[in-house]
Amino acid sequence: MIVAGLDIGASTSKAVLLSGDNILSHSIIATGAESANSARRALDEALNRANLSPAEIGYIVATGYGRVIVPFAQETVTELTCHARGANWFFPSARTVLDMGGQDCKAIRCEEAGRLLNFMMNDKCAAGTGRFLELMARVLWLSLDELGELSLEARAEVKINSTCAVFAKSEVISLIREGKDRRDVLAGLHSAIAARVYNLLRGVGVEPDLVITGGIGKNIGMVRRIEQMVGLKALVPEEPQIVGALGAALFARDRTS
Amino acid sequence: MVTSTSAKKYLKTTLEVRELRKKYYAESLEQVGKQKVAWCSNNIPSEILEAIDINAVYLENYATVCASKRLSSGFCRAGERAGFSQDVCGYARILMGYLLGGDEAPEAPYGGLAKPDFLVVNSYSCDSRLGWFATMSHTLNLPLYVLDAPCQPEGGCTEVANVTYTESQLEDFVTFLEEQTGTKLDRGKLREKLDLARRAHDIQVEIYEMRKAIPSPMGAGDAYTVVWPGMYMAGTKECDDFYQRLRAEVLERIEKKIGIVPEEKFRLLWSGLPFWYNMVLLNYFEDFGGVVAIENVYFRYEKSLPPQHEDPIKDMAISSTIHRPYAGDIEQRLQLTLDIIRDYHVDGVVLAYNPSCRLMYILQPALKNALDQHGIPNLSIECDMADERTYSEGQIKTRLDAFIERMLSGRR
Repeated sequence: MIVAGLDIGASTSKAVLLSGDNILSHSIIATGAESANSARRALDEALNRANLSPAEIGYIVATGYGRVIVPFAQETVTELTCHARGANWFFPSARTVLDMGGQDCKAIRCEEAGRLLNFMMNDKCAAGTGRFLELMARVLWLSLDELGELSLEARAEVKINSTCAVFAKSEVISLIREGKDRRDVLAGLHSAIAARVYNLLRGVGVEPDLVITGGIGKNIGMVRRIEQMVGLKALVPEEPQIVGALGAALFARDRTS
Repeated sequence: MVTSTSAKKYLKTTLEVRELRKKYYAESLEQVGKQKVAWCSNNIPSEILEAIDINAVYLENYATVCASKRLSSGFCRAGERAGFSQDVCGYARILMGYLLGGDEAPEAPYGGLAKPDFLVVNSYSCDSRLGWFATMSHTLNLPLYVLDAPCQPEGGCTEVANVTYTESQLEDFVTFLEEQTGTKLDRGKLREKLDLARRAHDIQVEIYEMRKAIPSPMGAGDAYTVVWPGMYMAGTKECDDFYQRLRAEVLERIEKKIGIVPEEKFRLLWSGLPFWYNMVLLNYFEDFGGVVAIENVYFRYEKSLPPQHEDPIKDMAISSTIHRPYAGDIEQRLQLTLDIIRDYHVDGVVLAYNPSCRLMYILQPALKNALDQHGIPNLSIECDMADERTYSEGQIKTRLDAFIERMLSGRR
């Protein structure tokens, strides 16, 4: 039976279609203002890619912040449980999962089969999330994809003091005006975020293997810094953004088996 | 944003508290002009105030009333406009907003508070209060008495020096009250009040014992409400009667095996203060078979000692230095909570980090470490106990849901 997992996040909505152990297709779209609508669009896109119709989907599980407003989902599971499950599907040795998403950051400890043991999330603050990096990319006139690579080219990393995303933006603007190299500023920004994330990881206790999921998993500068702080090599799925949706799809598969 | 406030109550006796509290505040306003009014912190022994016929107004309680009526953001904002930082105790900010907010403050619940003639604060457990009450004393130009309660070394303290000091503090406190009211303390009346208060306390201890039962006969949603008479009406017959009825109802529920949920799947401890503006959160686990079976705040640990001395003040001094959980060090407080976890068959713990309450906050990291070491599932959530602006529904619900999934997924 074909099942679907939908991860309605703050920035992006993701859908994964699963049949047995095969990912048939996936989609990643911007969530926009209407979460319910984006869930439908994400699912439709994944269906189109796999040449399937909605009637062929046997069960749908929704996750992410928008999970409760997906009218056509049979069930909801939190993104914490889904990321643990999805990460273990990609890497069965995963015991610590770091999900760095658009709005929040989650350090997750899990055991075999991706069963959730413990977690910590950033509280009431956007620093250390994808939104923060988006903001900084705009300030530095760069695309999001360029940030990580450039941050690794720094020669004299600049220390960023502000822990607030909005104040950090002002600090970065000042530093650029002072003539600092943006690669050095970027290195400082990445280090500041990595340090915050590291505290979350310490809070749950890091056990190998460490898997990084979420959009920031695509940022090589961030991954390298986290690896350096933790002292472990991080495993990153080929498409780290769909891990939550895949976890949801795996729960959907459980319900139908 | 908070969508609802009151916790669901399962015991009919709990429902009486609402009327008791309403009446208590109404009578306080009615007594204006007939009695001197003392604005008090928690832990000021109400028996002594009752025995001298003082109209006692407990400010921390009023702050929780404001929070439960969803007025905390308005009062806190007013307090902050008056210059108090968001890092200051939420209770203090609410009251400073009430005092100084003028027309910009929300309408005060229960018609407001009786205007004080003097202020009394206890140094026991919380340090923020001392600064808060000193500020009010300055603002209102009214006398303040600080009743000092010494810290307590591990294992309790019965040594003569501590008892002597506490007795001298209580006697000095009585002298202050006598000067303020022009009334001499009737020690016979105090003895009666003290005996009644101890009886009510002992019944509460019995009820706490009963709550070890499975299924839980009374959860935190009821428990955080039923502590009220014992905290603010101690020494009255009404309070004593209330706990007798409550004990009978809890006992009946145990005998009939009436729990909070049809099938108890996991039992939780709520560590720290609840979020007074959103008490229904305590019921959140119930749809999934979970019960907040016990709390570590307001917990009544031990029954009263038999009278230690003929003189009630000396008796109070001896008894009050025996067991004061918040006067001890972190190790002692930690052990008390770990004992509760064991005795109440707790499967998981919700650690409520109340950022503006230093007293409660400081236990939580040590407790979290201990829980992690023991493999006891725990969830950390950070929200102020009184300032509803610190609460974010989506974020909290995601954490609670994930914790529930973890609790239901099996072994520790």
